[in-house]
Amino acid sequence: MISLNNVHYRYEPEGIAALRGVSLEIKDGEYVALIGPNGCGKTTLIRHLNALLLPDKGSVEINGLDTKIAKHHTEIRSCVGMVFQNPDNQIIGMTVEEDVAFGPENLRLPAAKIKKRVAESLQRAGINDLATRNIENLSGGEKRLVAIAGVLAMNPRYIALDEPTAFLDPAAAARVLETMDNLHRAGVGIIHVTHKMEQAALAERVVVLNKGAVYLDATAAKVFAETKLLQQINLRLPQITQMLLKLKKSGLPVRTDIFDPDEAADYIGQLIKKK
Amino acid sequence: MYRAGTFISGESFVHRLDARLKLAAVVSLSVFIIWAKPLTILFMGGCLFCAVLSAKITLRTLGQAIKPLLFFIVLIFLAHALFSRNDGSFPGISASGMREGFVVTWRFLLLITAALLLTMTTMPAQIIAALKYFLRPLKHLRVPVDDIVVMIMLALRMMPFLLWQKDKIEKAQLARAYDWRRSSLKRRVGAFLSLIIALLLGLFRRADELALAMEARNYARGERSSFVVLKMKPADYRTAFVFAVMLLIFMALNYYLR
Repeated sequence: MISLNNVHYRYEPEGIAALRGVSLEIKDGEYVALIGPNGCGKTTLIRHLNALLLPDKGSVEINGLDTKIAKHHTEIRSCVGMVFQNPDNQIIGMTVEEDVAFGPENLRLPAAKIKKRVAESLQRAGINDLATRNIENLSGGEKRLVAIAGVLAMNPRYIALDEPTAFLDPAAAARVLETMDNLHRAGVGIIHVTHKMEQAALAERVVVLNKGAVYLDATAAKVFAETKLLQQINLRLPQITQMLLKLKKSGLPVRTDIFDPDEAADYIGQLIKKK
Repeated sequence: MYRAGTFISGESFVHRLDARLKLAAVVSLSVFIIWAKPLTILFMGGCLFCAVLSAKITLRTLGQAIKPLLFFIVLIFLAHALFSRNDGSFPGISASGMREGFVVTWRFLLLITAALLLTMTTMPAQIIAALKYFLRPLKHLRVPVDDIVVMIMLALRMMPFLLWQKDKIEKAQLARAYDWRRSSLKRRVGAFLSLIIALLLGLFRRADELALAMEARNYARGERSSFVVLKMKPADYRTAFVFAVMLLIFMALNYYLR
């Protein structure tokens, strides 16, 4: 379990607080979306989960290990993998398998074990065909998947992803989301930072941050029902929800807790048939 | 379009050779190329050409890899052709200058080809592992070999980024109607300085993020393991023997030829 207790953080002693008393618990295998306006502390928060940042006040515990204790860092970083926003700034190797092997090499695993982990991670990320490819020849979507595979090679229980579909075309974004979904089904906890409400709606739980504090924390249906609260911090609703709300406003008695376009189409189709 | 220095996957005889053998061969060949007499390096060129063909690398690919260096190759040739005169008068074209120019250019081309053959047929991870193998004795002198190897790895990784960043900044300058080719020397110097500053800023930002990403994947200074296992096979020993014999032949040629 990941546990944040009253976490405060400032990048500079006299600067603005990036996190102000964040308390949060994330269970094993949970899929959590982290949303909020720019500068609300999303990236700062997930960097605390990997002990890249340490709280000024409060504590972060990963499976009971306090991130402030340096000797825990190796275990914490193996437990919570981090996928950065820009894969080019994360990929270290020149070829795909070389990069995926970087983490296990740091853990000083024997060569045979590293090879096994690399093969498994590439398989789980769905890119085993790219193993010997040069990083420079990959597309943006493929690079994201390589970054995910690199993290998977550490055998993490959680993966924190910072806007993993930013700057990707719809097909590449769908492939990344599908990989994340597969990992979640396999029991890996996902912490997904995103600006895309449609993607946040896919999560089991949505945490909204505002000005470094938890603003809302509930299921997607409950969070997106708080239209006024979300509008106050300039967050828009998923497009499907916007459409259903407009239908409801025009007098149709429709549900507004559907976020999947296919499901919404079926639902509206059934309503039309009933009429 | 092939980008110089990158690995081309393949199953050729040269591809399958042990990376240590290839690295040692390139280093010894390079020393010999610099030291040998002109006629000897002509023969060496022929052998290197056969090695390139046996690695199934087309001349077109080789040409694409050498193309970015064409300016320097021409410059080296001209410098020697114009300024290497035995009679003491310069500049001017002379037969001896031309000959000198050809020889130096040929040496330079062979050195590049040998290095390209290594990088084209060997995965970077294997080159790094081979380098680590040869540097290993320095560990006894407390030289941080693992850290040096990671630094080389990062430097190799940063090269394409630098080229990409340079292109991006130049295009951004062009998009704002600034063409350095049509500017005065003063403006060119100014543009060059702003390009360098922008490049350095980008590089530092990226290095900062990369350091964080390395930390996130449990990187710490000191010993690391490697997923590359280098093992000499019978074919490698045979090749090493043939290579040594060829080097001896070159040395003999070098001794007897003018």
